[in-house]
Amino acid sequence: MDGLTLFIQQIINGLRVGSVYALIALGYTMVYGIIRLINFAHGDFIMVGAYALFFTVPVMIAAGMPPWLSVFAAILVCATTGVLVEKLAYSPVRAKGNKMTALITAIAMALFLENLAQTLFGANPKQVKTIFDLPQVFGVSGNTVLTIILGVVVMIALSLYVKYTKTGQAMRAVSEDKDASLLMGINVNRTITITFAIGSGLAAIASLMYVAQYNQVTNMMGSMLGLKAFVAAVLGGIGIIPGAMLGGLVIGIVESLSKAYIAPLTGGLITSAFSDAIVFSILIVVLLVKPAGILGKNTGEKV
Amino acid sequence: MKRKVSLLIALVMVLTTLLVPTMANAAEPVKIGVIGPLSGNLATYGESTTNGVKLAIAEINEAGGVLGGRPIEVIAYEDDKGDSTEGANAFNKLVSEGAKAIIGSVTSGVTAGLATLADAEGMLLLTPTATADTVTDGVTGVFRACFRDSFQGDVAAKVAVNLGVTKVAILYASGDTYSSGLYEAFKAAAATLGLEIVATESSSSTADTDYTTQLTNIVASGAELIFAPYYYDSIGPYIVPQAREAGFTGFFVGADGWDGTQNTMTDDKSLYNGCFYTNHYAPDDPSEIVQGFVAKYTETFGAESLTALAALGYDAAYMLRDAIEAAGTDDTAAVIEALYGISFAGVTGTFTLDESGTPQKAAPVIEYVDGVAKFYAYI
Repeated sequence: MDGLTLFIQQIINGLRVGSVYALIALGYTMVYGIIRLINFAHGDFIMVGAYALFFTVPVMIAAGMPPWLSVFAAILVCATTGVLVEKLAYSPVRAKGNKMTALITAIAMALFLENLAQTLFGANPKQVKTIFDLPQVFGVSGNTVLTIILGVVVMIALSLYVKYTKTGQAMRAVSEDKDASLLMGINVNRTITITFAIGSGLAAIASLMYVAQYNQVTNMMGSMLGLKAFVAAVLGGIGIIPGAMLGGLVIGIVESLSKAYIAPLTGGLITSAFSDAIVFSILIVVLLVKPAGILGKNTGEKV
Repeated sequence: MKRKVSLLIALVMVLTTLLVPTMANAAEPVKIGVIGPLSGNLATYGESTTNGVKLAIAEINEAGGVLGGRPIEVIAYEDDKGDSTEGANAFNKLVSEGAKAIIGSVTSGVTAGLATLADAEGMLLLTPTATADTVTDGVTGVFRACFRDSFQGDVAAKVAVNLGVTKVAILYASGDTYSSGLYEAFKAAAATLGLEIVATESSSSTADTDYTTQLTNIVASGAELIFAPYYYDSIGPYIVPQAREAGFTGFFVGADGWDGTQNTMTDDKSLYNGCFYTNHYAPDDPSEIVQGFVAKYTETFGAESLTALAALGYDAAYMLRDAIEAAGTDDTAAVIEALYGISFAGVTGTFTLDESGTPQKAAPVIEYVDGVAKFYAYI
């Protein structure tokens, strides 16, 4: 394999991870864009969706239907979980506390979901059956291509929804000024609930593509995924829907290239094991240099 | 009347204080503690190991306990969450509650910390599963039921020679004590055996999910065999399928962390042909002791958590029983004395503990054939 082919292959490898990050980051950014809450439990919604798939995919196969149809069951489970978390945890805290308390509640919910899953399903990782059997497209695995396509479709659909529907307008209004929206007759609580339902439903789609790619479900799978997707969302500009897509792909490619070339470039001083550190240092650099992210407008607000 | 009642109560109280010690002496339990990661992302190891311990303790007590009828009482199965600080807290708690010996912990990282504490406290620490070389270095009263990593790395290199390859690659997790310890051991053994290491790639932890980038580099290096000291939860779903997808057709060699991979494989089992690993026992070993253990474990806890860790936990509890019997007392110092150099026959082999407290035993090499773990050879 010559150097150029290897380089292209490593970019493709980056897209493989990045496409999943992008899909997760879309849900992250959607919730942040409306409620200004960094939902740290979002990664764990992915885990909830993945367990839903683990249980429903064999049912679909037994019924002779395509396994991916179980994504609808997963969307239902995730949306319900999202709405429950919002109603039981975030909403009461939001009424009483400030942004910081909401953030800490989100971290608490993440830990709660991880431990709940362990109690319910055990600590052993679970294997999900093969979901898609897709051919390679120009050397890129079919799963990756489908993930990117789905990401773009979701991104466009989400942008149109927020821009043109009544609920979407309400969402933007709530994000702008909660009290004023209330005065204008917008049902703020209902709008937030819908936002959570959609955001969590998106997590189920990300779960589908994740398990199609990586086949395994564990109760801890969401935490690192969530963090990476969070970095992706911040990099693209948190709250900005196309930014999440861009950020996810960039993070994936940076991760892949740093794993592939950092050791020879630094003479073995920094190895591929540092790739996570590199990814997270991107977060620091972005926050220092352009806090609003690649596609964000600098408004002086801190993330 | 009132006086009579209070007199009676006083009498009862006096009698009880007189009676209690005599009753307790007859079957005063021997208290021990167990530490393992029972929650967090290593919980599955803790579960298997402590299940093995539980099974053995139940059997021992059913058969009349130790020292002529005293049951072994586990004060608590403490959770270290795979974290050294939590492990130290658990250790101190068990010591203050009067544990005579502690079985634990499961991972090398946590156990290395506990070993120093045990040495300072004069406590007996018997780890079923911590294979890192450093765990028993320079400390007294620390024992294990498993072999050490340098030995495993050696065996893995010999497997490579056995398979007739010369160009090998290594993929390891540099942030993990176990994985990097095995990497060092394999590298040293490969050099003496004349194997050429054509690529060395690493990941930050064993919890990564995507290794495609490193594997692409390995394929480009022309390696015929990959030594991958990871755990089954990344080997099965990620490393082997991703390597095959990246175009790797050669062999894989791993260590005991691979045990259980048959449960984490993807649907296409043929991807795993040509994968070998060293283990602590071969579940398809027809000997009575192994088959007896497999049957009893499966009946009590099911087959899902039955791994070599469970077998080691089971053996560790029996090693402790033998040492207490040999010492003739549950005094910690005497039991430590008895454990050094003890000979033991268990599920994971027949062996003698050396002066460092580590067993001298042979490692069975297991091969995957269409998704089934088959005994390959003793090396």
